[in-house]
Amino acid sequence: MRIGQPEPKRGNPRLLVTLIALSLVLVTVYFREGDSGVLHGARRVTLEITAPIAHAGMALTSPFRAAGGLIEGIGVSRERLDALEEQNAELRARLAELEEARQENERLRALVDFAEGRRLAKLGAHVIRRPVSIWEGVIVVDRGSVDGVESGMPVIAAQGLIGQVAEVSPHSATVRLLTDQQSGVAALVQSTRATGVVRGSVTGELSLGFIDREQLPQPGDVVLTSGLGGVYPAGIVVGDVTAVDDRRGELYPRVTVESRVQVDRVEEVFILVGSSIATEGGEIE
Amino acid sequence: MRRWWTTVGALALALVLQVALAPHIAIANVVPSFMVLVVITLSFVEGPSSGAVAGFVAGLLLDFLSTSPVGAWALVLSATGYTAGMLQENLFAEGWLAPVTVAIIAALLADFFYLLMLTILGVGPAFWESLLAAVLPRAVYNAVLVLLAYPWLARFLRSDQSMKSFRRLA
Repeated sequence: MRIGQPEPKRGNPRLLVTLIALSLVLVTVYFREGDSGVLHGARRVTLEITAPIAHAGMALTSPFRAAGGLIEGIGVSRERLDALEEQNAELRARLAELEEARQENERLRALVDFAEGRRLAKLGAHVIRRPVSIWEGVIVVDRGSVDGVESGMPVIAAQGLIGQVAEVSPHSATVRLLTDQQSGVAALVQSTRATGVVRGSVTGELSLGFIDREQLPQPGDVVLTSGLGGVYPAGIVVGDVTAVDDRRGELYPRVTVESRVQVDRVEEVFILVGSSIATEGGEIE
Repeated sequence: MRRWWTTVGALALALVLQVALAPHIAIANVVPSFMVLVVITLSFVEGPSSGAVAGFVAGLLLDFLSTSPVGAWALVLSATGYTAGMLQENLFAEGWLAPVTVAIIAALLADFFYLLMLTILGVGPAFWESLLAAVLPRAVYNAVLVLLAYPWLARFLRSDQSMKSFRRLA
């Protein structure tokens, strides 16, 4: 105690013990109750109440984010522009080849009457909340159960896979990002067809595990969802291989993957709400 | 608590800032915690018991915001609030040194024990990687926030409105 200060406020150990015991009871109840339990319900109510606040936060900070992006863009060097122009020309050529292959594929499918008329129905959504804690990669979108969103549905962006719906309230839903430490997706390397599991981490880094040493990928290889497990449809871009560390002492090589989606910038996503019958023109929702 | 409504107001404001502002001021994926900031400041101002209660309420709000087991943050922030209050009362330091020291220790303890809690519950990330990549950077970020906001927040929370500086608050 410092001289000249008033008598300090004494702690009450019994109060602390009571609060800790209460917390442990809550943890126990949380694990024992189902999704329809009181605590899960309270979480959905919190999600519904805080969604407008998060939406307002996104709207208020959007000018600052735009200004930040503009400032970043100013610093693009001439070399970078040249490289992007070169890459653009290559991609245009590649696109023409792929379009030719696509049309040929459609003709051949029609010839053999291939029985695959179902395509995935997509539901557009706005991101209204980004991760509020370093401990979990979770975003919130402005679509909920009234829009047909259900827990477990895959979520994608234009650049590739984002994650999976974790919790749903009537007008909003939380999406567990692919980069979250609890996420995992069955994937394959496009070039070698080697299958494995992409996992997130607390740092947001993705790793591709359980890859056969005989089919080692190379940096730059594209990783896609394999469709195994039935959660994610096959063929969605997960990311690109950035590093391969094949240590002899370990059972599987360490393969680092970088997602193409910049989660801190993505503003619109698509929720794959299920399969729908494709129309004759191939249009989907 | 002498002025319970200021405490409730501070916690409500922290919740709003956590949802609306914190994700947008993240540095290298490290999102600050306004809840921890308010709990530590309340513990300084009101003492360990009030700090523990405020920690429990703030923790419960954080639990409902997250997708992790409900009760984990409530437990950790109750203990953090109590510990911060006890440290503040018993630390032999003057002026700004006391709140600085306690803020850093409390911010560090909060995230460390949360990581420990998740690990015990079997839903935790890789322990050592998280310690370096999450606990330490966030403790530093939170401690800096506490130091920036403490004089003003403490003045708002205290019934004695004449408090103006670290020296008089400590």
